[in-house]
Amino acid sequence: MWETIIVSPFTNALLMIYKLIGGNFGIAIILFTILIRLITHPLMVSQIKGSSKMQEMQSSKEWQDIQKKYKGDKEKLAQEQMKFYKEIGYNPLSSCLPSIIQIPIIFGLYQSIMRALAASPMQLLTLTRTVYPFFHIADIVPLNSKFLWMNLSQPERIYMFGVGIPLLALIVAITTYVQSKVTIPATANPNAQGAMMSKMMVLYMPLLLGYFALTFASGLSVYFIIGNLLGIAQYALVGKVNWAALLPGKKPAQALSARKK
Amino acid sequence: MKKYIVFIGLLLGLAMILGGCATGMMASSWPGVTADANNAYIAGGPYVYAVNLQTGAQVWRFPEKASVANPFFATPVLTSDGQLIVGGFDKKLYSLNPLTGQSTWQFTDARDRWIGGALVADGMIYAPNADYKLYALNLQGKLQWSFEADQAIWGTPISDGTNIYFGTLGRRVYAVNAQTGKQAWVQKVDGAVLGLPALGADHTLYVGSYGGTVYAMNTADGGTRWSAAASSWIWSGPVLDGSELYFGDAKGSFYAHPLTSTGQPWNQQLNGAIVGSPLVSADSIVVGTEAGNVYFMDRTGQNLHSVTVSGKVYATPVAAGSLVLVAPTDGDAILVALDQNGTIKWSFIPPK
Repeated sequence: MWETIIVSPFTNALLMIYKLIGGNFGIAIILFTILIRLITHPLMVSQIKGSSKMQEMQSSKEWQDIQKKYKGDKEKLAQEQMKFYKEIGYNPLSSCLPSIIQIPIIFGLYQSIMRALAASPMQLLTLTRTVYPFFHIADIVPLNSKFLWMNLSQPERIYMFGVGIPLLALIVAITTYVQSKVTIPATANPNAQGAMMSKMMVLYMPLLLGYFALTFASGLSVYFIIGNLLGIAQYALVGKVNWAALLPGKKPAQALSARKK
Repeated sequence: MKKYIVFIGLLLGLAMILGGCATGMMASSWPGVTADANNAYIAGGPYVYAVNLQTGAQVWRFPEKASVANPFFATPVLTSDGQLIVGGFDKKLYSLNPLTGQSTWQFTDARDRWIGGALVADGMIYAPNADYKLYALNLQGKLQWSFEADQAIWGTPISDGTNIYFGTLGRRVYAVNAQTGKQAWVQKVDGAVLGLPALGADHTLYVGSYGGTVYAMNTADGGTRWSAAASSWIWSGPVLDGSELYFGDAKGSFYAHPLTSTGQPWNQQLNGAIVGSPLVSADSIVVGTEAGNVYFMDRTGQNLHSVTVSGKVYATPVAAGSLVLVAPTDGDAILVALDQNGTIKWSFIPPK
């Protein structure tokens, strides 16, 4: 099921792009990432709008009152929150569902990149069984896995004086940090649950994706970097990029007011 | 605090899932086997094992501490001075003592995995690596020369004493001078060449390609003497026995191709993809399939008997005295010893 719906079509789409552009797998990953982002753009917009609405709602007086009033009764608090959502016409799934839908896409894309690169015998055997009949496997294998200075099937290092510097992992971590920082909505209440989670995202996601880039095939790093840049562009398109958040010393609330001016 | 723990737990979970995917894929090949009079040596995942041929019991395993991300699958090879040469996915080529499993030297210059087994000939080790290079070492592990090809080299090379011959994933076959490492010739074929070539006494080199063609090439210049099409891709190289060439393809067709005008060609349809080369002995031709069957055929293609083992038989069967060693993938055992009647004598399941 997973194979038929996600991995196999993704792998074949990647190979199709690879063939069309004349055999550059790095460019194929970039174009495929753009394609996926375009397809999922409506979901992303829905998520951005949902998050903004959530932030506005959590800043409202009514919401704060409900929190205070039912502080000691979690069940009643949940009921009242749901009631409040209904009253203002907010669907709590609208901010998280698009993100959840993107998780299988990330996994699928990762598996497809690794499969298409076929860096080991079993991967090549699996790739042979994955490609659709209109591809002639002997014409595809081997994929040109060299892109710029990288071998896309291997973790990337630039060797200087005998020391391997993971440049791509650093770029992944930096772009992830920037994306998290400028796209997380500023909030008037930094102690709110959402704001706390956002802080953790800003801190841990660059570390996590940087670790992936350090450890796994550099083809995945290319996907992460392009995905991060496109993510910022998507937020910019709907006017939700908070560049002020990158300025040192700006607290989220200050950044919010700076943006409002 | 609870929320932090849940969040970090989720991130770790994501890391483990992605890590699991990656590790699983990185460790994806099938075992390589060789044997001497006493032991079988199997590069079978996280360890290289020595297994007693009489009892099927483990004699030793290497390394002491395994790494799942850096397994061993390249076929080990024995040298005349008592070394066992085996490469790992950790980019290192090891010389082990076949009696103890202790490492005597390591070659660490390669930049990629060791997928194909090395060739030992004329006091030299010719080791192919996925970093596109063929490394020539002396028996002390010192690099003599290296040759960079167009693409990764997954198959074991072969030598006629003058040149070393090997294929690459880049659809090319190379001849490289054994002494100097200089290219003698290179020829393009219709698909990746993943297996060990075969050499004929008449200076003909036989290779199978992923394009589904067997080529007979002149060892002097690489010119094609003839070619024959199979019904699907060919992974492992053909095996030459006298005046017959034997090979199998991905659709399970097994072919005997006579090299003389008097011979009769035949082919047999087996029940799964044939990935390994056949084992050709005086008594029989032994072929393994992806469906887990091991066929014993006579020289006319008649099935003498067959046996089903747990797992997929991708690796080439290996002769060890009167035994036939089969190394299944994804089965219960990683090594199964059969007698000439196809009876399982013992199975080796690695201890935890």
